[in-house]
Amino acid sequence: MLWAMLPTSLLETLLQQLLLLDPESQARLRKLDGKRLRLTLDDVGKAITISVNQQGLWLSWFDQEPVDCAIRSRLAVLPELREAANITRLIKADMLDIEGDPMLAQALSKLFAELDIDWPEQLAMRLGDVPAQLLVQTWQRSRQWLQQQRSDQRQWLRDALIEEQQLLPSTAEFSLFRSDVQALRARIDRLERQLSGWKG
Amino acid sequence: MKSATRTPIGNSMTDKQQDTIDFGYQQVAKADKQKLVANVFQSVAQKYDLMNDLMSFGIHRLWKRYTIDCSGVRAGMRVLDIAGGTGDLTEQFARRVGASGEVVLADINDAMLAVGRDKLRNRGIVGNVRYVQANAEELPFADDSFDIITIAFGLRNVTDKQKALESMFRVLKPGGRLLVLEFSKPQPPLLSQAYDFYSFNVLPKMGQLVAGDADSYQYLAESIRMHPDQETLKSMMEQAGYAEVSYHNLTGGIVAMHRGYKF
Repeated sequence: MLWAMLPTSLLETLLQQLLLLDPESQARLRKLDGKRLRLTLDDVGKAITISVNQQGLWLSWFDQEPVDCAIRSRLAVLPELREAANITRLIKADMLDIEGDPMLAQALSKLFAELDIDWPEQLAMRLGDVPAQLLVQTWQRSRQWLQQQRSDQRQWLRDALIEEQQLLPSTAEFSLFRSDVQALRARIDRLERQLSGWKG
Repeated sequence: MKSATRTPIGNSMTDKQQDTIDFGYQQVAKADKQKLVANVFQSVAQKYDLMNDLMSFGIHRLWKRYTIDCSGVRAGMRVLDIAGGTGDLTEQFARRVGASGEVVLADINDAMLAVGRDKLRNRGIVGNVRYVQANAEELPFADDSFDIITIAFGLRNVTDKQKALESMFRVLKPGGRLLVLEFSKPQPPLLSQAYDFYSFNVLPKMGQLVAGDADSYQYLAESIRMHPDQETLKSMMEQAGYAEVSYHNLTGGIVAMHRGYKF
């Protein structure tokens, strides 16, 4: 149990550090000051409480105090909560149970979704200008290459499908072919019956 | 650390008729214990954090983290960290209570308090922390002042533990809670034996090597053995007036976290 706190502490520190890297986080945290959310994950069988104040956010597996919003769900369902439109559907499907302020989870998710971190500047502060510049250029080139690869793959798939489509029969042609096959099968059946009559 | 006159004792923790009390395995005059404990911490203050990490292999951070998680601390609360020493708990509480809350770091030892104050200020913990030199037995605060009181690895050094628990009860707000994190009695026999060997053979040597003080760490090992076990401390808390007292063993009972409420 004690060791389970280690990853939680590390995650908490990581989230705190990420928030510190964006000066706008302060204003976003101020809006959520004092709010508390408890997330119970059925697949994990435990509840984690997230408390927010102007200094950051805190995670705890052992907090049992009242919260502003309590959510019970499964790990796989969590990404869907980012869209407000999904909430009603998930509740109706018994995949989500919410008590309290349902908008709090989205506000918390926004806290990180809206993070705008100036990575080149952050790297330059830690590594120096030249290594940071090299790292950023390598990253940008890699990203461009990956994007190009992805775009090429998509294009190839699109072309292949279009060319293939030209060779594929239309619905009407397939329907005609199917009725021809059925007619042929009926004729064969008739012939079989005639043949067996002659033999008899 | 200055040595006290060693007098062999039995299992009793105090001998009221002789007005003596345990100081580790020694029996000393009640009036002297406070000074002797002060000498110990005066001696180890500068290396206290380093020694904690070495002695516990860093696990003391998880024990403290567990205590904070169980405290139910929220923004705006008033927290008293007694025997707060170098401020590990105070730092975390100060971040959690925010600007609208307050944490009081209290310690009887000025050397420990100075180390804690310097450390926290260097880490940017300012504005919502007060530093008070105070004796846990006679807390200099008004009745019903705090939402949460913690005492981590400090109660065993207090001369009159019952009086200290009562003093904490007095300054706790109704609905507030006391959390006592303290060395206790390891439950598995094998762990108990290994722990004894480690405490009496390794710890003093480690203390000599790192802090240049074997006696203080010998005292640490002895004072842990003389501290009330889990059930006894629970009874003491109930006797002081705390309700719904419970405890949780950590690392096989080497440490226990007791929690009680004031209603």
